[in-house]
Amino acid sequence: MVSVNFLSPIFNSCRRAYDRMPSVVVQKDKVLNKVAYIGRKWTSPQQRLIMGATAIFMQPYIDWKNKKVDEKTRKVSVARTCAKVIAGTATGFALRYAFIKGIKALSRPLSEVPKDAKPLAKKMMTLLTPKNLDEKDLDALQQYRNAMGTIWSLVAMVFTNFLIDAPLTKFLTNKFIAYQQKHEKGDVK
Amino acid sequence: MKSPFRWMSPSAIYAKYSKDPGNMLVHTGVIGWALSSAAQIFAIAINDKISPKEKMFLIPQEIADAVVNCLSFYTFTNGIKFFGKKLTQTGKLRTTEVTKLLKDRGLILEKGAERVKGKVYAGDWNFNITKLADYKTHIEEAYKPFNNGVEVITGLVGSILSSNLITPVFRNHYAAYKQKELLKQSGGTKLAGEVKAPTAFTPQKTSFANYQKIVSSRVFPSGDMKI
Repeated sequence: MVSVNFLSPIFNSCRRAYDRMPSVVVQKDKVLNKVAYIGRKWTSPQQRLIMGATAIFMQPYIDWKNKKVDEKTRKVSVARTCAKVIAGTATGFALRYAFIKGIKALSRPLSEVPKDAKPLAKKMMTLLTPKNLDEKDLDALQQYRNAMGTIWSLVAMVFTNFLIDAPLTKFLTNKFIAYQQKHEKGDVK
Repeated sequence: MKSPFRWMSPSAIYAKYSKDPGNMLVHTGVIGWALSSAAQIFAIAINDKISPKEKMFLIPQEIADAVVNCLSFYTFTNGIKFFGKKLTQTGKLRTTEVTKLLKDRGLILEKGAERVKGKVYAGDWNFNITKLADYKTHIEEAYKPFNNGVEVITGLVGSILSSNLITPVFRNHYAAYKQKELLKQSGGTKLAGEVKAPTAFTPQKTSFANYQKIVSSRVFPSGDMKI
């Protein structure tokens, strides 16, 4: 087996540096509540939305500054990146959101199922309720629903990426390229 | 026989992700990017409005996008997330409530106090709040909401930096290199900067078919010229 002992002095100095770092105590209730809220409520749809919003500002700029390719390729690359971000964010957000909502309806804890519900309705309401569920820990149940909804939305994306994302990206790319060309002609005039 | 999809069963997902939302975001993020890139390659390939030369850049760009994205997600994003978790788990970053709980147990090294040899204090690398004997009964309730929030925030910051900064820079470098390689191999069209147009002072013999090929490749800005 290859020895990694030569790394231990580096690791030890990093550890000592970490130990010497001062601790930070967050005292403001407003900050604490916000952080706890994010941990509880923000999940993959919000993540996809935030990533899409930041991507539309950062990625086209990076593509445009890529001087390793000619200007025309860069313009197409910028158009395609914008189209890809818009199409990917829209479908990604919508699917994740819808699936998490759907999973929530199908994963009720037994205590939340109405007693007068019909057997079929009862079965549907608990179809995806985990057997090892801790009914007291509602936060864990919420996180489970988020995870399950996200995983199922990924399964759906195998199809929607080709049926919606790809054609929508193509459509938007061509629209943006046409816009660029129109704009260029306008400049010449 | 056990089902290959048993990892997708409600109980398995509950056990794996109900306590660790940040991890779920990283894992699903990686799969999501890989799927999206596959579809995007398909979108470029079927787009007849993109010239073959541009496809030679865009397809490697998309492949590089997927590979770099997955790698940076697992290394950079996970690294930032690990650091965020370490900060809360060791008590380096904590709330007032958790501080009080730790102080009551004598786990906070007060300013000016002598460190007891061999004792691990809150804020030390080896300290782990979740390993305390009464964690489940007394500490978890105060600790978990803040820890989950920090994990989601650090995961998100890592994802934004890796997907929107590291990946585009690396994929563009790789794709530009790959485009040059492919153009060299194809031997036909050259990059705009490398093409020397025949002029009156440097006349070059060329066939009419070749001339048409050059014009149609739009290497020269021929505008709307009709032949």
